[in-house]
Amino acid sequence: MIFLHPLALAGLAAAAIPALLHLLGRRAPPELVFPPLRYLAAAERHSARRLKLRHLLLLVLRTAVIVLIVLAAARPLVPAGARAAGSHAPTALAVILDNSPSAAAVVDGRAMLERLRTAARGSLAAAGPDDRLWLVLADGVARAGTRAALLGAVDSATAAARRLDVTAAVREAVRLVAAEPLAAREVHVVSDLQRSALGPGRVEVPRGVRVLALAPPERVPANRGIGAVRVAGRAVVVPVVGTPGAPPATVTVRAAGRELGRGLAAPGSAVAVPLPPLAPGWWTGEATLDPDELRADDRRVFAWRVPPPVGVTAAPDAGPFVTAALAVLGEAKRVRPGTDVTVGTGAAAAASIVLPPADPAELGRVNRALAARGVGWRFAGPGTPGPIASALLPEAAGLAVTRRQRLELAPGAADSAAVLATVNGEPWLVRDAGVVLVGSRLDTAWTALPRAAAFVPFVDALLARVARGVAPVADAEGAPRVEFRVRGADTVGATVYGLDPAESDLTPAPRDLVREVLGAEVLDDRAFAAARFAGPGRRDLSGPLLVLALLVAVAELGVAGVSR
Amino acid sequence: MTDARRLDLLDPADVARLGGIEIVAPGVVEGFLAGLHRSPFRGFSVEFTEHRAYQPGDELRYLDWKILARTDRPFVKQFEEETNLRAMLLVDTSRSMAWRGAPARLTKRAYADRLAAALALLLLRQRDATGLVTFDAEVRAVVPPRVRAGQWARLVAALLNTPDGGGTAAEAALARLTALLVRRGLVVLLSDLLFDRALALTALRYLRHRGHQVIVLHLMDPAEATLAGPAEVRFRDPESPASVVVRPRELARAYAATVRAEVAAWRTACRRHGIAYHHVPTDLPFGLALRLLA
Repeated sequence: MIFLHPLALAGLAAAAIPALLHLLGRRAPPELVFPPLRYLAAAERHSARRLKLRHLLLLVLRTAVIVLIVLAAARPLVPAGARAAGSHAPTALAVILDNSPSAAAVVDGRAMLERLRTAARGSLAAAGPDDRLWLVLADGVARAGTRAALLGAVDSATAAARRLDVTAAVREAVRLVAAEPLAAREVHVVSDLQRSALGPGRVEVPRGVRVLALAPPERVPANRGIGAVRVAGRAVVVPVVGTPGAPPATVTVRAAGRELGRGLAAPGSAVAVPLPPLAPGWWTGEATLDPDELRADDRRVFAWRVPPPVGVTAAPDAGPFVTAALAVLGEAKRVRPGTDVTVGTGAAAAASIVLPPADPAELGRVNRALAARGVGWRFAGPGTPGPIASALLPEAAGLAVTRRQRLELAPGAADSAAVLATVNGEPWLVRDAGVVLVGSRLDTAWTALPRAAAFVPFVDALLARVARGVAPVADAEGAPRVEFRVRGADTVGATVYGLDPAESDLTPAPRDLVREVLGAEVLDDRAFAAARFAGPGRRDLSGPLLVLALLVAVAELGVAGVSR
Repeated sequence: MTDARRLDLLDPADVARLGGIEIVAPGVVEGFLAGLHRSPFRGFSVEFTEHRAYQPGDELRYLDWKILARTDRPFVKQFEEETNLRAMLLVDTSRSMAWRGAPARLTKRAYADRLAAALALLLLRQRDATGLVTFDAEVRAVVPPRVRAGQWARLVAALLNTPDGGGTAAEAALARLTALLVRRGLVVLLSDLLFDRALALTALRYLRHRGHQVIVLHLMDPAEATLAGPAEVRFRDPESPASVVVRPRELARAYAATVRAEVAAWRTACRRHGIAYHHVPTDLPFGLALRLLA
């Protein structure tokens, strides 16, 4: 015998209620004078054994009623004897086999996918010729087919590179089976039920549709995986994702045909490895982890572009500090003389960095030039001093600004600009229509930046990343690889494929959450097998148990009232 | 009043509401006598009335030898009472007698007082010397049997002046009575018999052995015959610290059987020893109670 809801057996503790009520409910009875006490004592003496038996019988019957009701709530299933498998009512059945990357994890020495395939096979193998069948894999597509065809699809299913939104898949499967005019409708969710696999919202399960979910494993593997790798400046940042609490693991970064560095990181932290000077062009690399229970997320590739030196023209009004910084960058072959980007109070080139004029009287001219260029922002009056705040340009963050011109959006202009840095919460560095506006002149009278060691990297980032822009590298879900986008003979971008980082966290969803979100009965393997098709081959004893509880309750009433 | 209504047949509580013992007892007796033609009491006189089966303690001189010779069964002759009968009324005044199961009923003691008063009046009218003993754990009052004028008033006064007592020990009172009753006579015990049956029977047997006719009136409130009350209750004995917690609904059937068995045991034991026994519920009209003695 097995139970569909074994947790309900915890209610057996309630069987102690009659005894507890008997013990706790004792109180001093009212007192009455009654002369023939000797008759009473004699009657009690003669009836003591009978009364004791009766009390015991009542206790047993009341306890039995509670036990029977609790057992019925636990839905016990017993073999139905001669009833053959498959001899169930015609059923619309959708099996959701979650072969997402996390299914490749090894749990207790066995691949999770094997367990899932066995369960899915069991569901489809128990189907009869009158059943209507669908199979949903990690791609989310519901495949209708015959039992044999779908069994073949299950057998050939391997761990996919795509994450499955189980909530959306169940919602679609419920919609499919509910539309079928058959006697029974079931959705079998065969998944490792990661917490991250449950998408937003909850599934409304209509009456007549049963959703059975295979319970997730009790033990959670301490998995780690590589998250989305980023090249920022001259470093590769490798975030480590995975099951919270998993111990740290060694991250190895390789690029340009050699190992660039190693680091130790646990889920939730990251490793930064510096990049060596590389020639301009597209580069690829990979970050790897030591092997663990889930191998699929232990490796991730990345791509980035080393841009050629930027052609820069500094206007005379750019100031001596900008000129000095460009000289340093020129020696490092980061910039060269050219017209790709201009720096000054004008915005003539395709990409310009515009500084406020030293003379406030020039502000009007500069603003008119910006408007003529189509820039919606303009320099306004003086702003209050304060520190620079910027997530995009960490080089400048925290440095003091002593003088600035406020940047404000011109009346009627669309707010399409990106605010890259602020001072006192007001825009200090914005980019709009290929023009970068800086709220302060890059001069020690305006800001502490020129005196700081970060000034040259700041100017480098401003020219290479902000003004000219970086080559787009997009992320996509799929088997780890890099695909380059080309236009003519030029490579204009890249798409890096990898697993969804959420797949690395193998923490299963709590059963209550699964019940609430999917409207499913969460069953372990045996119970799941028994509950298919309303339990073909097994008989649900809850009905007879409830009838028996009713009979026992009637007997209890009879015994309780026998001497009234 | 007494002509229009047979007080002897009314509910005892209704009768009691008409007045004190001195008033209602004569009314009961009048009503009772109106329903009889002759004295119900039989003794050992000269006018033969009937035969009855011999009982241990009967005098052998009244044995009818002719019937014994013919049938081989012992019978004694009974005679119409003409001369003084010495009657002694024993009234139990223990605390258990001062109980009633419902406010609308008389206590057992009140019922016993009125019944004893009526019985005494009946006997005195027949010129029978009548006395009284009230007792609980001890003998409380003794009125020697006399037939003179004012005897009934003395008896009633003794009843009224005896307060409700404590525990019951009938054997002591009965033993005291044997010393008082030198001549043979009639002894009527009015009690709820809530005492040790064996000890009481020993005393009653002794009286019987001394040649007295003994009548036991077992008074019982109807509420004592059945068990009722709250779901769970502690019943306390009025005469001792004893108490017991019971669920009346559970025990009602067994209790009723026990009471029936107790009554039957008293009846059987009394019959075995030639003692007349009558079970008298306190809602029985006095006339019917007196008729039991006829």
